[in-house]
Amino acid sequence: MCSMSQSDGAAIQAVLAGDRDAFGELVRRHSRMLFRLAFRMTGNEADADDVVQDAFLRAYQKLATFESRADFGTWIYRITVHCALDRLQRRKQDDARRVSEDYDPEEDGVQVADSKPDPERMVISMEIAELQQAAMRGLTAMERTAFVLRHLEERSTEEIAAALDVTPNTAKQSVYRAVQKVRRRLTQLKVMA
Amino acid sequence: MKHLSEEELVERYYNGVAGMDQAGADDGHLNECAECAAAFAALEIDLAAMRPVEIPDKSEHYGEQMWARVQGALPSRGISAARKPRLALWRGLAFAAGCGVLVTVSFYGGRFYEHLHQHSVLDAQRRAPAAGTQQKVVVVVLGDHLDRSERLLVELKHADPASPELVNPLTEEARGLLAANRVFRDDAQREGDPALTQALSHLDQVLTEISNRPAGLDAAALERIRSQMNADGLLFEVRVLRSKNPHRNKTVRIAARGGAA
Repeated sequence: MCSMSQSDGAAIQAVLAGDRDAFGELVRRHSRMLFRLAFRMTGNEADADDVVQDAFLRAYQKLATFESRADFGTWIYRITVHCALDRLQRRKQDDARRVSEDYDPEEDGVQVADSKPDPERMVISMEIAELQQAAMRGLTAMERTAFVLRHLEERSTEEIAAALDVTPNTAKQSVYRAVQKVRRRLTQLKVMA
Repeated sequence: MKHLSEEELVERYYNGVAGMDQAGADDGHLNECAECAAAFAALEIDLAAMRPVEIPDKSEHYGEQMWARVQGALPSRGISAARKPRLALWRGLAFAAGCGVLVTVSFYGGRFYEHLHQHSVLDAQRRAPAAGTQQKVVVVVLGDHLDRSERLLVELKHADPASPELVNPLTEEARGLLAANRVFRDDAQREGDPALTQALSHLDQVLTEISNRPAGLDAAALERIRSQMNADGLLFEVRVLRSKNPHRNKTVRIAARGGAA
């Protein structure tokens, strides 16, 4: 970890000195970790790829503001959380526009995310994935992010608060509300199954 | 028995999962309370359904692929560590220059306005005599002034504080005498007449005392003024001056109170 931080630091110094290719080292080193986070948050591989790309672009533009004493991994992790959050909010708005014309509250509870099959998604259990997608659908972007970070990434309340730029109490309440909504939705889905 | 709330159960669930224990305190209750234990088990089942998320396996080349995507989208201009401070420096200088210009413009604008305003006031003053707003001037004879002062002091000496309608006009009378009294006193001092100067100074004190009571003279004020008059022998002084002063025909010119001609 320490050597990674040191090599991250060297790469950052090189980028700041004008060597753009040195940024490639950072991208190669952290992409997979960030993809896992982005996929958990968006639930969609294409979106996760875009989120990772956005996060690195944003990091490159803000690299001059990066504190050299901080850990680049933690910094880019937080940027990725924000990029995924932005994407979730945009997706929510798009969904709202699309659904508004023929909205049916009875069907809302069982609508699932895009089910267009692709090779990766065929590997995982469709039932579990769809169940999870359906359960997460009712969450706000903030609740979904807090829930993913707590439940799947197993981050502490303090880490979630730092990643989302909110107070620990706000982070804790977001997780709690997300759990409540997920459980309600799961109950509805079980009844309808 | 107080049951655990759903929020407490959620807290307990995650504290256990993340290994950040403060959950131990609740374990006793969960072991004893079947209702809470059932609620916690249901929570575990629900959240377990949300747990297994299989993530598409990305190869070791994923980082390289991502770099290819990122590289093509990077801004053409590179960044440097020195850029930020330099930018901040220019911003700071621009801000300081802006402030400087603002202060300078305000200063000279103020002076220009003041200059214009001063001119307009001077013009107005110059135009004033032409418009016939000349200050009214009255000529006062010292003998008359001493007569009026003596009458005032006599009335004051015998005034009844229970009759304000008789006492209050004395205030207005004292104000009318005050300006001329000061001019006479200053002249007497300048001309080296100590007796007249002293008497007019005493009179000035009494007139000032009376004039500064817009609400009228009450019993206490009257008593104090009378004591002052007696201590100075003021009424006697004024009578002597009125009858024997060689300058009793002397005149002064003072501005009339309350207006223009």
